Amino acid sequence: MIRRRMSLAAAVVTATALTLTACGGGETQSADISTVNVMAPFLEAQPPSADGAVQKKLEELTGKDVNITWAPNASYEDKTNITLASSEIPHVMVIQGKTPGFVKNAEAGAFWDLTDKLDEYPNLKTTFPDIQQNASINGKVYGVYRGRAPMRAAVMFRQDWLDKLGLEAPKTTEDLYEVAKAFTEKDPDGNGQNDTWGITIPKWGALGTNSPYDFIETWYGAGNRWTEKDGKLIPSFETEEFLEANRFVKKMVDEKLINPDFATFDPTKWNEPFLNGKGGIIVDVDSRVSVLINLFKQADPNNFENKVGFVGNLEGPDGELNAHPTDGYSGFLAIPKSSVRTEAELKTVLEFLNTMNGKDVAVLLNNGIEGVNFTLEDGKAATIKPETEEAKAVNTDIKSYAQLGMNVAGNSFYPVKQASDYEQQVFDKRTEVMAEDLKSAVYNPAAPYVSATYVSKGAQLDNIVADARIKYLAGQIDEQGLKDAIKLWNTSGGDKVKEEINKLWQDNK
Amino acid sequence: MTAPVIATEAGERAQPPASAPRKRGRFSVHFAHYKWLYLLLLPGVVYFAIFRYGPMYGVSIAFKDYVPFLGVNDSPWVGFQHFQDFFSNPDFPRLLGNTLILAFLNLGIAFPLTIVLALLLNEVRLSILKRTVQTLVYIPHFLSWTIVASLSFLLFALDFGPLFLFLNSVMGTNIDFLSDPNWFRPLIVLQEIWKNTGWGTIIFLAALATVDQDQYEAAIIDGAGRFRRVWHITLPGIRSTIIVMLILAIGQMLNTGFEQIYLMTNALNRSAADVFDTYVYFVGITQGAYSYSTAVGLFKSLVGLVLIFGTNALAKRFNQSGLF
Repeated sequence: MIRRRMSLAAAVVTATALTLTACGGGETQSADISTVNVMAPFLEAQPPSADGAVQKKLEELTGKDVNITWAPNASYEDKTNITLASSEIPHVMVIQGKTPGFVKNAEAGAFWDLTDKLDEYPNLKTTFPDIQQNASINGKVYGVYRGRAPMRAAVMFRQDWLDKLGLEAPKTTEDLYEVAKAFTEKDPDGNGQNDTWGITIPKWGALGTNSPYDFIETWYGAGNRWTEKDGKLIPSFETEEFLEANRFVKKMVDEKLINPDFATFDPTKWNEPFLNGKGGIIVDVDSRVSVLINLFKQADPNNFENKVGFVGNLEGPDGELNAHPTDGYSGFLAIPKSSVRTEAELKTVLEFLNTMNGKDVAVLLNNGIEGVNFTLEDGKAATIKPETEEAKAVNTDIKSYAQLGMNVAGNSFYPVKQASDYEQQVFDKRTEVMAEDLKSAVYNPAAPYVSATYVSKGAQLDNIVADARIKYLAGQIDEQGLKDAIKLWNTSGGDKVKEEINKLWQDNK
Repeated sequence: MTAPVIATEAGERAQPPASAPRKRGRFSVHFAHYKWLYLLLLPGVVYFAIFRYGPMYGVSIAFKDYVPFLGVNDSPWVGFQHFQDFFSNPDFPRLLGNTLILAFLNLGIAFPLTIVLALLLNEVRLSILKRTVQTLVYIPHFLSWTIVASLSFLLFALDFGPLFLFLNSVMGTNIDFLSDPNWFRPLIVLQEIWKNTGWGTIIFLAALATVDQDQYEAAIIDGAGRFRRVWHITLPGIRSTIIVMLILAIGQMLNTGFEQIYLMTNALNRSAADVFDTYVYFVGITQGAYSYSTAVGLFKSLVGLVLIFGTNALAKRFNQSGLF
């Protein structure tokens, strides 16, 4: 109780200090950084404990005291901005993306420009310069990006339904329509009632967020956020293909092949219609395939192997495969200037990050501790079962520690060995399909470029089109209404965004 | 908005009687005389200085181009630019309209209903029934908006929500209440009524208890029926409470309830759902436009201030005791 009072009092004093004085600059650190302060998000219910086995091993491997401030993922961006305005600035900050807040801070000089520095460190030199370029702000690299699978788009469907109706797995968007139609009208669950639909789409509006709509638009050839046309970059929603793709989706909505509450359906319940035999298709990232299989397995461990089928990206109506890649990164680890003040200090921190990116630490952050929670089998990490108390703690902790992984030169940790042969087969097939699709990936040509107008009002602008897209699909507005919204995007500031992006693109060509 | 009001009250209480200083220089005598009262006032003054007025320093970022790294002091000064941007923004009329319509709907429907419910409860003679009903209508107040929103989603869910099915069969329509912009406001007001009407009756019930019972007896002897008594005795008896509550409600009026609206908003009903509070969140927190959203918030406060002073002046003009 007394301790709580004390911390409350401390909080009050800090709050007062924050409000009464503007806290500029931090305290000077000694040039020799022996304790590295890191700020990172956690996605689990609890942050890892500061004296856990993973933490100890991490300090042992890096030879530094590592002091990690974990902040909840949901409010991470607020926390980033508050931290930058405070006097307690860490040496390394996980930044989750090129958010307007980050861009403004970076352009005001809050972070070290690492463009010419990373290549000196063997583990920080990326083997995917394109992704590093995408993660930059107009070519300036402000952090070591956190690599992610570059291709993830997939279509998953109830394999048992498909078999029952004697259909083939879809290859084209037209096939997708046929399968969805059959799932809706031909009673795939055989209960004699017309109570199924094809594709389940949850409430998911925003543009360029790897939504099912984004995937289908790319497959139709609308490009990926931006696309080149007549020597200029235009947003993909200004293409004819965008309209075609949405006509296609609208047709499916009108024919009830898509769940009618797609504008309000809770995304956290996305799996349910699939599992309960209501909606037989999900268009999402391929990792959901394994999630779904796992859920079927939990429900019935003896009969789950023929429930989920999947394919990768679909060919568009013109017979071309335009695959929808991810950005290939998820934010970056940036180094604030107010805590790391000199080049010498920067060198220490970069060396620390270099060690973090080495194989030993990568294995620790992603697989855990060999012999405690996993063993090595044919180059794969097999989870030790039954799980000991110690292993359980490690398994829980690494879910958060993985947030610190960068893997800019590919994954150097071990792939996880799947629980059964069937799941291993599916996993391998996923890897194979995604690698194949990656060859046909349509990248966003404007990814590295940040336009000033977009920073200040891009999200509002994009909302205009995103909302209009949903309204069009729901039948609240017609195609002219959708076109009008795109015109409004232009007149509300989109024209300027286009101009700025094109200038940046031309300058960097 | 309630905070400064309390400050005024506290100040008034601590003030000396009207016989205070006639000449200058008497103030020190006066002060010495009442020093303990002033000392009693001190904690309140300090509280407001630190927790209410101190943070207002942060409002200055509405006039700056705030970058967290540069801090409040060093961010460049831009004057009224954010306000200009806001007023010239096509979103502005829509936001103002949505906010005011929702505010007046809440005030015009939910507020009188509170009084009606209090009057109804007051007329219940059976004590056990009255207490039970009171408890039951208070309960929704303690549920969070998240739960209220989830309940609404279940009840109005497309194609299987019980209220969706019932209402549509009664009206012979097929309306998706959750995504139809025309139904957004009725839903919000309905939720507000369900959640807060019962709780709001507490103060009115307290006021009703103070109405002189003799008057009722006299009225009964004069042959007044129930409605006559309510109209001529009860309502005039709690008139000043109603006025004070109305002024307070108007002060809070533009706080349309961020959580509630945020939870009920989706792409299809956004045209009716965007209000100042949600806009500040979308623009300020999710897009990092802190200065701009502070300007929007400041404008909202200003409108609220005008409303509260306006109502107060109006109340005084009609010979009612205002709030201050």
